[in-house]
Amino acid sequence: MTTPQERAARLLRWYPEAWRHRYGEEFAELLIADIEERPVSSPRAVDVARAGLLARLAVAGLTEPHGAWWPDPARRVQVSLGTLCGALTACLALAAAMWSQLAIAWEWTPPATATAPTMRATLVMSAALLAFLLLIVLAVAPVGYAIARNFNTRLLGPLLVLAAAVSLLAFGAHHFLYQWPGSGGHGEGGTLFPVIPAGLQAFAWSLTYWFSVHWFWLATGLGGWEAAWIAASPVALAAAATAAVTLMRRAELSPRLLAYETRLAVAACAVMGVFLGGCGCWVYVGRSPGLAHAGQIDIAAAVLLALALAAAYQAQRTALRGLHLARS
Amino acid sequence: MPKRDEERPRDDAGLAGFGRYAGSATLILSSLADGPKHGYALTKDVEEFAGVRLAPGTLYEALARLESQGMIEALAAEERRRPYRLTAAGATALQAHLDAQRRVTETGLRRLKANWGTA
Repeated sequence: MTTPQERAARLLRWYPEAWRHRYGEEFAELLIADIEERPVSSPRAVDVARAGLLARLAVAGLTEPHGAWWPDPARRVQVSLGTLCGALTACLALAAAMWSQLAIAWEWTPPATATAPTMRATLVMSAALLAFLLLIVLAVAPVGYAIARNFNTRLLGPLLVLAAAVSLLAFGAHHFLYQWPGSGGHGEGGTLFPVIPAGLQAFAWSLTYWFSVHWFWLATGLGGWEAAWIAASPVALAAAATAAVTLMRRAELSPRLLAYETRLAVAACAVMGVFLGGCGCWVYVGRSPGLAHAGQIDIAAAVLLALALAAAYQAQRTALRGLHLARS
Repeated sequence: MPKRDEERPRDDAGLAGFGRYAGSATLILSSLADGPKHGYALTKDVEEFAGVRLAPGTLYEALARLESQGMIEALAAEERRRPYRLTAAGATALQAHLDAQRRVTETGLRRLKANWGTA
């Protein structure tokens, strides 16, 4: 039978380390006394789990923390920006998966048969994705400069992981360019109607094929290396996102740069919101059969994109509040 | 008939910003007005005078907020239990909040008595 001390220690695990460091001992004493008085209490367990998860959301930069356990507003901004970086990377991956399918569908669609609503949705999504990529360049350049200027050994690990993951993704996506069914490989017949230059859509499709793959092809039409790429690319993408979040949180960034990055993050969330709007239109009008047909996987991608965007929006709100506090 | 502004409760000293924690904060500050207490003593005292048992997670959320606002302060730990003490800012906030609540109570009771004869 477990003792009250053991049960209190187990309940305490709901809270993040920073919170436990400040309140852990006294909170454990309260829990022990409470457990001794009322050995069985579901509301107590639910209350502790709820409060612990809220404290964990604060540590992740998704809510505003209260109390002496997480005191520095500038640090909060940086943590929130790290979470934003992760959430927006997820948004970008999902957006690239959907956009590349649409762009390739357009490439195979004779102009006369293209439907206006789907075309408008594609244009909105393309413009939003282009603006998002521009914002990424504007955000990454000064952070890269700050990292190079104030380099320390804690940044080496995530930098190496990021470099390796991005290299693998770039090499793999380029290697498998045009090798997927529909992107011009596998000897399909028919006439291509190029819309996007330089095979950008094929690169994006190759990069995100792990999401949009028709599993039928895995069993019948793809070789061992192609299947390995489909398994490895999401792992590399997750490693790149994790390394970017760690770098963002560990780098020494000036208050001015934090404010600049927060403003860009607000713009990035707005742009991704526009993309989601275009995507929603496509999913709504693209249910009829055809090349630009929106399937179950696209509906799932739109829902996941909305969730990732909600997390990013919450993180940018927390970052903005942290900035306001840091200034005052 | 009293003017509208006279009836409106005012709570400018801080507890209004506590949102859903305002209730817990009021109970905690009221308990600490009697002297410093640690977590479990606070829970028992609040249960005794208000008939409400503050759950541990909720209690520490409210304590952390009150501490960050400077309304209470932590004292040195006594055998792993840390007592908390009401500060002057906390006393002022509690006074303002209770004054506002009293105005609401008095207005409600007066109207009940005038129209329903129950108070």
